[in-house]
Amino acid sequence: MSKTKSSPRLRFTGAAILLSALLFLVPALKDGNDTLYLLALLVPCGMLLAGTVLARVFSLDRLILNVSLWICAVGIAAFAFTDPQAALAHALNCGAGMVVLLVGGILIRSMTDSLLTSVCTAFLGILLLAGKALSPALSIPVTGAALALLLIAFTSLLSRQGPISAAFTGLAALALLLFIGETQEALLWGITLTLLLFAADGRLIIVLPSLAAVLLVFFGAYRLFPGMSVAPSASSLNTLVSAGAIGADTLPEGIAAAENIPLFHRLTGHFGLLFAGLTALLFLPLTLRGTSVAVTARTRFHSSLAMGICLLLALRTFFGLLCAFEVIPFSGPDLPLLTSSLPDLWSQLFLIGMLCGISGRNDADLADDAHLAMLAR
Amino acid sequence: MFSVSPEVYSVLSVASRWIFAFFALMLLAFALIWHHAERKERKERFKNLPGAGTVGELIVLSGSDQLAEGTWFPVPREGVLGSLRSCDLVIPCPGVSSQHLDFSWQDGSGLMIRPRVGCEALIDGVPVTRRIGMQDKPLLHGSVLQVGTAALRLQLYAALSHTNRTFTPPVPFQGPEAGFGAPQAQPPVQVPAAAVQPWPVQPPMPPMPQEPLQYVETIQYTPEPVQAEPESMQPAPQQPAPARPRRSRTDRWKEDWSE
Repeated sequence: MSKTKSSPRLRFTGAAILLSALLFLVPALKDGNDTLYLLALLVPCGMLLAGTVLARVFSLDRLILNVSLWICAVGIAAFAFTDPQAALAHALNCGAGMVVLLVGGILIRSMTDSLLTSVCTAFLGILLLAGKALSPALSIPVTGAALALLLIAFTSLLSRQGPISAAFTGLAALALLLFIGETQEALLWGITLTLLLFAADGRLIIVLPSLAAVLLVFFGAYRLFPGMSVAPSASSLNTLVSAGAIGADTLPEGIAAAENIPLFHRLTGHFGLLFAGLTALLFLPLTLRGTSVAVTARTRFHSSLAMGICLLLALRTFFGLLCAFEVIPFSGPDLPLLTSSLPDLWSQLFLIGMLCGISGRNDADLADDAHLAMLAR
Repeated sequence: MFSVSPEVYSVLSVASRWIFAFFALMLLAFALIWHHAERKERKERFKNLPGAGTVGELIVLSGSDQLAEGTWFPVPREGVLGSLRSCDLVIPCPGVSSQHLDFSWQDGSGLMIRPRVGCEALIDGVPVTRRIGMQDKPLLHGSVLQVGTAALRLQLYAALSHTNRTFTPPVPFQGPEAGFGAPQAQPPVQVPAAAVQPWPVQPPMPPMPQEPLQYVETIQYTPEPVQAEPESMQPAPQQPAPARPRRSRTDRWKEDWSE
């Protein structure tokens, strides 16, 4: 009998499902908690369903989807040792986020870089940021959703109207972000904006003024609001290192004492630096795949949008890790998908859904070409 | 539900964390291998579909020293035409700026052209406006685009619905000799003026100023006697005809489709 070699997709999916079950079974054996047993059943089944059936039905990119599902499962498991009910709530949030991901994947197939798209998304994005600026008591984090909308508007303007109008929209969003005190988001947005401008229109006459404008806005904001550089949080490098290579059942004192523990720190405390670092490294294939999707996209809008999504996710991961290990003096953004904030999680899943949708559209276009070539032969 | 004793759990907990780290490493490796394998497969598919993602080709009717006549470029659905190497269509000709115009394919309309600020383009001799929202004449199958000194003819793959010519439905031949083998009536083809004469008519040269004749000293030319060549001279070898650009099978079927 000939031995058939399993595909990398099958291996990845199998290993991810098995590991996600083990992540909940081991803490469940400690206390015999019903919720954790339920999660050990629900999370792998959900991953299997979304990674195979939904990806097949909606023609989503399986690699991006499976990696995203795995990171979501790790985020749920970060709560498993200390708070099973919070883990269940986070699992339900991720499940609802899958619907948001599907909406993004379906929406992007019919979305074009029309003026209507640009105006609507730019208006909604700036409205969200302006609402936060006008009512600082608003505790809902709307920045993620606003950035997702503004990214669509920016790339749409960039591909249809040209770089100047896109740069003005981006700079307006940057100024608003700095005004409401979202320094890290503004930094990420400014870098993404400049790199996208460079990718779409590499003329120095466009890129250099944009770069100068971004630096000027940052300098002005720093002069106006000198306290915008945030001190490192309690969970710093020393506390992360104290978790050790493989972690422990209880969180180290520095991490447990922090009020709002980021999921990455919680993950490091429970499962160790090794596991958390390898999980963060999974953003590398995600970014590589997204870049590949951007390169093969047929329209400039989809290409710019896919590249913008990749840049936002990669930069957020990079800055999150730098801040977690005290390389730069900010409290740092959460890693993508490893966040306990529901709007942020949904907005990131929406962006990933759009990336999956662009990839599915590329595949459909290529299949059409192959069909035409077959007819010609 | 089921739980284990603390002693067993302590061993299990430490062992499981190492297993988790090992699995995470495997997942990372599998993801990278998966990405690499699919990228390789996609490259193979693109290699087998050389025209994938393009709507037609632009054939150079007149170019420059760096752009020979007869050169053809595959035209993507969207892009920038200019003399810069980073452009989607690179036209190194005098009068073509670094990023001259944007083009995008619109289903049902054709290839829409939008020149950049300060750049000019002509479609079948008609200048293209740059104003947003203006319904410009799109580039259709057989249209000639002029940018700078270059003239490029568009040849679409899906030309049946985007042709420059207007066809009328064929009229069956009603003559008494109609039958098998009899010549069929050819449908009249209405050819617009732009298709008949895609090149803009050059304006007539201005009349030369009538200047009074002046006396010019002329030099008498006396031809030297030509010596007869010996008959034993070998005939000059004929220069081989310039090789036509080789076209693959895929390009040939595209031409068939476009016809």
